[in-house]
Amino acid sequence: MSMLKETLNRFLILNGVQAAVVIQENGEIIESMKSAIMINKDVQTALSIIMLDSKITAAQFGNASLSTVFIEFTDYMVILGPLIEEFFLVVIARSTANIGQITYEMKKNQDTIVSQL
Amino acid sequence: MIDQLPEGKSIGWMQAPPQWIFTHTVRFMGIVRVVIQDGEGFILIKKGKPLVYYFKHGRIELRGRAALDYFNSHPIIEFNLCKYTPEEFAQVLKICNFDERASEIPPEPELAGELGEESFESAPAPSETPQVPAPSVSVEELWEEPEPAQEQAPEEVPEQAPEEVPEVFGEVPEEVPEESAGTVPEEIPAPEPEETSEEVSEVPAEEPVVQAAPEAVEQPKRAPVEIRRPAPVIPGVPHPLVLDEPDMKIIGQMKKLNGIVAISVFSDERNILLMGDVAIESLLRIARTMLATTRKIDPLLDWGSFVHMTLQIPEGNVIIAPYHGNHLCILTTRTINIGHIRRILRDLQQRENGR
Repeated sequence: MSMLKETLNRFLILNGVQAAVVIQENGEIIESMKSAIMINKDVQTALSIIMLDSKITAAQFGNASLSTVFIEFTDYMVILGPLIEEFFLVVIARSTANIGQITYEMKKNQDTIVSQL
Repeated sequence: MIDQLPEGKSIGWMQAPPQWIFTHTVRFMGIVRVVIQDGEGFILIKKGKPLVYYFKHGRIELRGRAALDYFNSHPIIEFNLCKYTPEEFAQVLKICNFDERASEIPPEPELAGELGEESFESAPAPSETPQVPAPSVSVEELWEEPEPAQEQAPEEVPEQAPEEVPEVFGEVPEEVPEESAGTVPEEIPAPEPEETSEEVSEVPAEEPVVQAAPEAVEQPKRAPVEIRRPAPVIPGVPHPLVLDEPDMKIIGQMKKLNGIVAISVFSDERNILLMGDVAIESLLRIARTMLATTRKIDPLLDWGSFVHMTLQIPEGNVIIAPYHGNHLCILTTRTINIGHIRRILRDLQQRENGR
């Protein structure tokens, strides 16, 4: 298992987390760890839209940098955090998951993930 | 005259169509302080019945129908609801020289140029008046609400510093389950009648009351109207959203949470309600961009109904969520406890689905 996979695997032990993915803005998946969830083309497209649109939206705040995007549906939620350049860390979790815990792990592991890209 | 009136207990500043005031004050006894440009005025309301209308701009005073027409000539006005005790209310009636037994607006002069030098004609015509606060404020200033308690300057964090980027929803305690942390009163997500806060007691209960306003507005038929202003018909503007008591309670309580800068209810066309002091146009522009994103991804994801989207930047969070066929936009500081906001929004969603 690659080191990046090992790092992503740390997210899967969090309650409710279904997938941790390093993805490019164009939707191309660099690495992922999943548990009982499919990341199909539609999901990739949706993630790509979120990343690109959110950057544009954040730019409306006087060119503010985007920190995180969080979108929740009744069954799942997705949290996206920019890593470096066009790379994002995406965590998909059940809506019962603890967002505080997930975002803490995202913060904690960001440097490691960037170094493993 | 305004200076003589008791302050009352402020419930909060809002921006809404004038009609909103009449449809949401059925249990309210107090004064609605209105600010339009440099002028200020008020509507004295007793349980849904407007008793006195007054507006003053410089040396021009408008009373009764003239003041009402002037309010109505603005699609959105900014106002502060201030509750009066019965004693204060009686005092105000005295100051306004209003005989409550008459039950209608007294035949006050429609227009009273105090010094007789200026007429209403010299006041800014509605069409010349900016109807919504000008969006001249930059978007970054959205968070500059002068509330010390919410001051959480995102200051000097370097843009791409590794520490900064993932500081997601900063105040959520890391080891503490989000549901147990924070300061939100438990009753927010599931309001019960007995928990009614003071603000809530001012708004209509159970059913939205729309009918109270029109009569009240139309009342001064007998008074000669010297100056007719066009009815405040705004093309393309839908009826005001009528929020019921629990809705107002939830929105009002959310606004009070530490870290909430502003809350807006908006539709695709316009802002319906704003609590908070922000440049609404800029905020709505961003909210609508986010809304467009959710509409693009919704058909692609089979993850249930959309609950909310939160965009976090160093200055704070912008949150959008569906709300009664319209949308809620919440502007927060960086330090908000997102777990609680999330829980409230999920509860709203559940209520929505239960309707």
